[in-house]
Amino acid sequence: MDALRRIATDPATYRRLAYLLSALPLGTAWFVALVTVWSLCLGLVATPLVIPLLFGMAFMTRGFAAVEAEIARSLLRVNAQAPRLPAPVAGFWARLRSLFGPAFWRAQAYLMIRWFVGFPVSVAVLAVLGVVGGLISAPIWVPFNHDGAQLGIWNPHTFVQALALVPVGVILAPLTLMAIKPLAELFVPLASGLLRPEPGAGVAGAGRLGLGAQPLYGGAGPMASQTLQPQPDRRRGLAAHAAVDGVVVSVLVLIWALTSLGYFWPIWAVLPLATALGIHGWMVSLGERPEIVRRFAGSRALAGTAGVAAAIELFCIAVWAVTSRGYFWPVWPLLGLAIVVAAVAVTVLVGSPRQAEMAERIETLETTRAGAVDVQDNELRRIERDLHDGAQARLVALGMSLGMAEQKLAEDPERVGQLLAEARAGAEQALRELRDLARGIHPPVLADRGLEAAVAALANSTPLHVSLSVDVPQRPAAPVESAAYFVAAEALANAAKHARADWLDIRIARIGNTLELEVKDDGVGGADPNGSGLIGLRRRVEALDGTLQITSPQGGPTTVYAELPCA
Amino acid sequence: MRVVIAEDLALLRDGLTRLLRDNEISVVAAVPDGDSLVREVEAHKPDLAVVDIRLPPGYRDEGLRAALEARRRVPGTAVLVVSQYVEQTYAQELMADRAGGIGYLLKDRIMHVADFLEAVRRVAAGGTALDPDVVAQLFARRRRDGPLERLTPREREVLGLMAEGRSNAGIAEALVLTVGAVEKHVQSILSKLDLPQSATDHRRVLAVLAYLQRED
Repeated sequence: MDALRRIATDPATYRRLAYLLSALPLGTAWFVALVTVWSLCLGLVATPLVIPLLFGMAFMTRGFAAVEAEIARSLLRVNAQAPRLPAPVAGFWARLRSLFGPAFWRAQAYLMIRWFVGFPVSVAVLAVLGVVGGLISAPIWVPFNHDGAQLGIWNPHTFVQALALVPVGVILAPLTLMAIKPLAELFVPLASGLLRPEPGAGVAGAGRLGLGAQPLYGGAGPMASQTLQPQPDRRRGLAAHAAVDGVVVSVLVLIWALTSLGYFWPIWAVLPLATALGIHGWMVSLGERPEIVRRFAGSRALAGTAGVAAAIELFCIAVWAVTSRGYFWPVWPLLGLAIVVAAVAVTVLVGSPRQAEMAERIETLETTRAGAVDVQDNELRRIERDLHDGAQARLVALGMSLGMAEQKLAEDPERVGQLLAEARAGAEQALRELRDLARGIHPPVLADRGLEAAVAALANSTPLHVSLSVDVPQRPAAPVESAAYFVAAEALANAAKHARADWLDIRIARIGNTLELEVKDDGVGGADPNGSGLIGLRRRVEALDGTLQITSPQGGPTTVYAELPCA
Repeated sequence: MRVVIAEDLALLRDGLTRLLRDNEISVVAAVPDGDSLVREVEAHKPDLAVVDIRLPPGYRDEGLRAALEARRRVPGTAVLVVSQYVEQTYAQELMADRAGGIGYLLKDRIMHVADFLEAVRRVAAGGTALDPDVVAQLFARRRRDGPLERLTPREREVLGLMAEGRSNAGIAEALVLTVGAVEKHVQSILSKLDLPQSATDHRRVLAVLAYLQRED
């Protein structure tokens, strides 16, 4: 009983349910779009038209996979990532080949599985939910239905008879909920195994088609960071999705017009595509406009589930409308979806104090803590290595020089002078290395004089043209200051070393309880956001609940943008 | 010459004391923190205070603050700040207070005993001793296409030593040149950078530093 209650009140149950049901419109949409484009490719394989189609296919697949990755991340909590576009390579054929790497085929496989496996599963789940909803609500509708409830062996007609159905529904409901987890778990290895980026892929793709790394269904913690999402990127992703849909639909309508002009079969593509687009659009607007989320009691999970449920129901109604229009069967999915939304609402509103949000928060904290520990560990290793190879070795050499000087004191004063000079030079070198090491751990001027002076000192030590604007009236906490400092330092070092920049613009401002830092250069770009330096910085920033965003397309410019909460 | 030392690490405090005493400089007090520095300066009115920038309790810039405070109470006290690291920001803060000799050196420089003693004497006499690293920082921030490019490499060397606060004789010694040759370089630098031909070393340092710190 306890286990049942746990399942029923666990928000994860409803997240998984939403994931399973989302296959209904999404799987259909992907299937229709992919089959259309692949057929066109096959049909036009002998013509030059196949080339733009193949490019379109590559982009489309990655766009779809980005939506799926986002959904898998937020609903299944798996580490799924949109396959990024590979870094541009020279040569047309090489570029085409690079677009069809393993990540592309994995994404194709996942999208197809969402249709071939996900669709039947979602239909089955929806049907069972409908039955359960029907049984529980039997006393309400049975007396008014002319035929009563057609159960085959028994045909209840009256209110009292219908009452007998309620317990069956009540027993079936938790059993259904119990089945959701194993069903959803089927997809976990698929999502994490198939949706992952190709190693060495550039970041540009994530910006162009992906939806960023932020879960859409966030809790209280990520609320603060929602606005940090690269909004133009999200919108661009949505626009790309809409454009692809538009192309698919126009092609189908064209084929329809050129062939039969009879039954308007392209509607079967339009409906799922529109549903998927609608869900995508809803997700994007949730990310961009916190006021919508606020209307859903501040829960993105509730807002997201309500949106997905509404889209699925509209899809069902539309299917009903374009088919027989007889018996209004969409009332059953409506019932099931209403139960899902109500259940999520209950867990959000009256469930144990903000359980869902706390779960989110714990998850975020676990990840960022692991990242912070990792960073710290790497940092300590680096310091140990630097000490071992640097100052320690120098002091050994210095001791040796002094020992030899001592030995030769009487017989060879000239050589002693030489040895002492060597010893002094070694000591100076050791001091210099220790100073650099100390500065790399925590620059003294940062503690003494704050961010502005420390970043100004950084700017002064580089030959780049630096324009620095700092507006931080109130000093943030030391860890925040030092994270911001190291972001600026790393960005500056990259600009000077790798980006071959001449000019650098550093802007630091404290707006309310947020410290914003932006470093822009005019270099050649192409910084690898997964390089060890930038990963370390990101973890450092994320450990403080901040976000770090790096855009560095080939050809530049590079922009590093960090936001750090400093309440 | 009478000196007060403020340095929290006993090892360094004693070493510095021994080094100065060995060279006929009288160390009238050697203290471990900023408050006692102010007290001892008021009590002894020394020619020079040699101060570690990082002192208890905060181990930040207490030494710098204490030195400036001591100098406010006993005007004319020369201050030589020594530190494990140098930052141009601190140099600027020190230079802003021009009520007597000012020095700002890395502790490493103490190892070059002759140079260090020369700097101590110069600062005590009201001059300037700025660490080559600070000067390098000042040079680094100058634009690559700025007027400094008009100087010959030798002139840039001379300008660096001028910024450190050295006299023509000191520059001549460091670069192994004749004083006359140094004077010629100095004239040329000052006219190339549009700086006034000041008679005293002291004013010349100020002009050069002001020039290097100027934003353009």
